[in-house]
Amino acid sequence: MPARNHERWNEVPGRLRDGEYIDSRIYSDREIFEEELTKIWKRSWMAVCHESEIPEPYDFRTTTVAREPIIVARGPDGQVRAFLNVCPHRGNTIENRPAGSFRDGSASGAPRHMTCMFHGWQFDMKGNCAHISREKEGYQNRLSRKDVGLRRLRCEVHFGGFVWVTLDDAIGKSVEEWGGGCFDCLKEHVDAEPLEVFHYHKAIIPCNYKLWHDTNSEFYHDYLHYHNRITGFNEAYFARQNTGFENGHVTVGSFEVQYDKYEGFESRETLSFPGLPPNHWYMIDMFPGVNFNLRGSALRCDIMTPLAPDRVLIEFRGLGLKSDTPEERISRIRHHNSIWGPFGRNLHEDLLAVTTQQAAMNEHAEPRRILHGRHENNTIHDEIGMRHFYDEWGRWMNRRPSDPEKPYAVAA
Amino acid sequence: MAWKRVCSTSEVARGRLAPFVVDGITVIVANFDDDGFSVFPPACPHMEEPLDQSGMCAGTVLTCSKHLYQWDMRTGEAAGPAENDRVLLRYESKVEGGEVLAHIESELVYEYEDDEDDDFEW
Repeated sequence: MPARNHERWNEVPGRLRDGEYIDSRIYSDREIFEEELTKIWKRSWMAVCHESEIPEPYDFRTTTVAREPIIVARGPDGQVRAFLNVCPHRGNTIENRPAGSFRDGSASGAPRHMTCMFHGWQFDMKGNCAHISREKEGYQNRLSRKDVGLRRLRCEVHFGGFVWVTLDDAIGKSVEEWGGGCFDCLKEHVDAEPLEVFHYHKAIIPCNYKLWHDTNSEFYHDYLHYHNRITGFNEAYFARQNTGFENGHVTVGSFEVQYDKYEGFESRETLSFPGLPPNHWYMIDMFPGVNFNLRGSALRCDIMTPLAPDRVLIEFRGLGLKSDTPEERISRIRHHNSIWGPFGRNLHEDLLAVTTQQAAMNEHAEPRRILHGRHENNTIHDEIGMRHFYDEWGRWMNRRPSDPEKPYAVAA
Repeated sequence: MAWKRVCSTSEVARGRLAPFVVDGITVIVANFDDDGFSVFPPACPHMEEPLDQSGMCAGTVLTCSKHLYQWDMRTGEAAGPAENDRVLLRYESKVEGGEVLAHIESELVYEYEDDEDDDFEW
């Protein structure tokens, strides 16, 4: 094929149809990004951490969802609750640490309470205001503790013990319903017994959050991974099915990985998750930015926090069974790191790809088409995962992914 | 009478307070005057702040630096401008032969408010 001049370059290539390509502006446009936070991220269920990270009463974890500061805390009754991490008085961030415990109090706060350091207002683990400094002197009877509880957020511990939060009180569906069946393939394996986080790291990657989600939900980029090319391909691998679910979620079906055929690797048979056929590998990509990846003995979860059109914070967690012996845990960590660690097979290569992808579609670059048009009966190199995601994206945004200036509903 | 030795008067400087353990019970000894000692439980009556860290003596007034609640250590009555309807519980104490003695039969404890019921509704 000859190279193309500007006009030809801007034409839809071949006979691809709307839905099989998207406009690169959805990865770089600032207005679209802000709209995504409002229309999607503030209205979805988001995983924010795992309950094993806050095992004891008064343990907490802070994070953000769509730029809103969130605090998740375990109460004395064992229940995990989520609140906006914002003081009702002057709007200060209440808790600045990423994680910790309220059991023993803080420099400015009493034990078993969250304390705003600014004026010493205190709140219990249920979000009740428990103390206003010099309340009656300043407010007489015009405002009392009962009036200034924290903003509570819907929160559920679900799907293998992950803590889910939504900013939308009126979301109208449970986390189970939000999943729309996408977790059915993993449920019995991750809910059989308590899981525990053994690995955590986070990184700010210079790419749009959707590029990371894309790379998790298409396997055609096996060609990126040197090791996949020399060890990973066989008929069972190519038969893996991509399946789309309600609310934009996608799963990648399993097959048995021959880990013992990889140089330097061992079979994961004895440590495979409860009920999981030995060495099997499932992936779940949940809309708009959570990914679960179970490779036999180790579960990885990526949680995305979009920061800007070209910046995403990704939190990577590795999980095993809480009941692991120290020896089992060491093996699980080795299995996890061999694929996803800094010297592992895949993670750094994936990160490199999305970084260079974003570099070519900066905010001021001319819009281009990104192709999602592979059809292979929904098997592993079919790009249905991305098409399914962007169809959902279009509905939520009321924008057409192939031309974001047009409304979703209008046919091409 | 269960008078027990808590510490030597020289162990708590004037204007200071310090924790001691007597038969497994932790108490705070405050030296608020040359011969004025007060012995009280280690947690603030307000919200259970640890007074060995947050308590300060000034004259006969005990101040918890967390919320600036104050008590007169001679009487246990509230003494400051912060609203306060709780008294400071104290062990009866005396000084004899350079030692602080306290009448400790059982541990004095406050009842703190539990988290309110979770009657939250969406």
